[in-house]
Amino acid sequence: MSQQEDQAVYSIGAVARMLEIPTSTLRAWEERYSVITPIRSEGSQRLYSRAQVEQLRFIKSRLESGASAADAHRLLSQELSADRIPAAEVEPTGETKPLLLLAERDSYAAGLAEYFLRTEGYEVAIASDAQQARLHFEERSPDLVILDLLISGGAGFRLCAELAAKGTAQILAVSAIDSAAEAMRLGAAAFLRKPLEPLTLASTVRDLLGTSALARHDRPSKVPT
Amino acid sequence: MIDRLPSGNQRLDDILNGGLLKNAINLIVGVPGSGKTILSQQFAFHNATARQPALYLSTLSEPLDKILRFGETLKVFDHKAIQDGRVIYEDIGHVLGDNGLESILGAIEGYLKEVRPGIVVIDSFRAFAAVSHDTTEFRRFLYSLTRLLGASATTAIWNAPYTREQAMDAAEFAVADSILALDIKLVGARELRVMQVLKLRGSSYRSGEHAYRITDGGFDVFPRLADVQDRSIYKLSAKRSSTGIEALDKVLGEGGYWSGATTMVAGPSGIGKTLMGLHFLFRGAAIGEPGVVATFQENETQLTRVAKSFGWSFSNSGVHVLSRSVVDVYIDEWVYQLLDMIENTGARRIVIDSLPDVMVAAADPIRFREWMFSLTQRLARAGISMMMIVEVPELFQLRRISEQGLSHLADNVVLLQYVQEGPELARALTVLKTRAMHHHPVVHRYEITEKGFVLGDVLTLTR
Repeated sequence: MSQQEDQAVYSIGAVARMLEIPTSTLRAWEERYSVITPIRSEGSQRLYSRAQVEQLRFIKSRLESGASAADAHRLLSQELSADRIPAAEVEPTGETKPLLLLAERDSYAAGLAEYFLRTEGYEVAIASDAQQARLHFEERSPDLVILDLLISGGAGFRLCAELAAKGTAQILAVSAIDSAAEAMRLGAAAFLRKPLEPLTLASTVRDLLGTSALARHDRPSKVPT
Repeated sequence: MIDRLPSGNQRLDDILNGGLLKNAINLIVGVPGSGKTILSQQFAFHNATARQPALYLSTLSEPLDKILRFGETLKVFDHKAIQDGRVIYEDIGHVLGDNGLESILGAIEGYLKEVRPGIVVIDSFRAFAAVSHDTTEFRRFLYSLTRLLGASATTAIWNAPYTREQAMDAAEFAVADSILALDIKLVGARELRVMQVLKLRGSSYRSGEHAYRITDGGFDVFPRLADVQDRSIYKLSAKRSSTGIEALDKVLGEGGYWSGATTMVAGPSGIGKTLMGLHFLFRGAAIGEPGVVATFQENETQLTRVAKSFGWSFSNSGVHVLSRSVVDVYIDEWVYQLLDMIENTGARRIVIDSLPDVMVAAADPIRFREWMFSLTQRLARAGISMMMIVEVPELFQLRRISEQGLSHLADNVVLLQYVQEGPELARALTVLKTRAMHHHPVVHRYEITEKGFVLGDVLTLTR
């Protein structure tokens, strides 16, 4: 699998956090050495592949051994030329990622949350009203529902209770107003106040699904055939 | 309460009831040179973290390099924060120049996704209005940008070079959750920088104009001393504070003024008002009550010489000097220096020499009265005695003490004046008013000797 064909799922922010390398440094390395060059999304955001993350991990380990950034990149180039690519997790074909149903009426909020969650490795389905959310839920059996309680004029509260009662997916309730107690009462597993801070959103989802969720490759598809 | 974005300046945060509104749109307006960029950078550097960096976007009004070059001179500017990506400066002027408003939305959305900033500063926002083809286009852009920013966990700070009046009419005014106006006023030939909170959604704030200065430490503001009257009961001291003039203590009965009282000493030039203040302070210091003489009249060297001529010294005496020239005084800046000194020294007695200097600096009589009321209330509640010195122009037959009607704020009023006895001029002291004390308003002759005030016999004045 070539670098360009490699599935790009990690944002520069996610890579920076994973490897504890500042985003400014990642950008500077890319510009200066042109060895690890993430592809760009339509919106021009850098999207790193899993292999590139491993290459950066290789650079980091060389730096920690005392090499300069230039030397570390030169060494990586040699490894890549010799086809001795630093070990990267191979993504299994046909992998099923955890599916999140995002029920959010605001298109900007939905767009941002979708981006953050996808770059964290999740599959995301968006519903812009309660009815659509109900349909997606039935058809796609998500692992988790992120539900704006104020969707469709407050129908989210009823939907929260309805979906939680089914017991097939946890509900992460979100709202611009403090509705934590009500959300819990209706069966939500967690509540977040909007606007959603990307890291908090990602860590809450991770907490709810369990850290192993992303590593599950054998989850049978819940999508009806 | 809505979460806040503190400025790092406690007094500014006090005005804002904790800081700017977090995850909201904050608009800073002001004439060019009023400090919008500095204030924005102060917020950015103070709050930026690796998890939630601050993104500083320059538009068409100022080149990014220029913002950085001048920003670097500030103490709040942290090179390390830039190196490690906590504060990121970007120029979106070229995006705006090439492709107009539509591309700006895309660019900002890209930054929100990629950088995930906790703060986005746009400097200057007015450039967006300037490149709009018409009002409709600008309002549509504004609506979309507001929605985009509202959907993300980021605090927006928009700078715009509007005057206060222009800001009221600007479309940004309606969408902003908070608005700070910075202004430079001319008072006579003096420049006075003032800031005012025009809007702070869902929150109270300190109203009115607050003076500020811009220093290399950043934006420093002095909240308008204007305390709402506190009607709660507080404990009055049962102690007396000696005036430092034994015979005057006897005239007042029981040994002096009430502790925590405010005393106004009025008289013409050269009559001994400052000396009376020094008596009061050095007497207090001698019995373990530190004091502060806050003077516009003499500098510390001059005052030291005056004190020395009566056998006093400021060194390790417990009497501290806050000396300030009347040039370019901000009364609220000065009063915080005084209050800080009181706190740091544990002062129990204060002498302000002189009140008319503060009146002139205040420029506005109404402002001066509320300032004075607030100060006297604060000190009275803290049980701190204050003596205010007022110079009057008349040498004889004084008709009124102050034009600001301030004597009602004083618990005690002491009048010093000259009286003519044949070809000689004599000095005379009259206790005109003592609140909650009995006294006989008689006129006493006094002399100033090397020991200071020496109160003499009762004078009979002829009209």
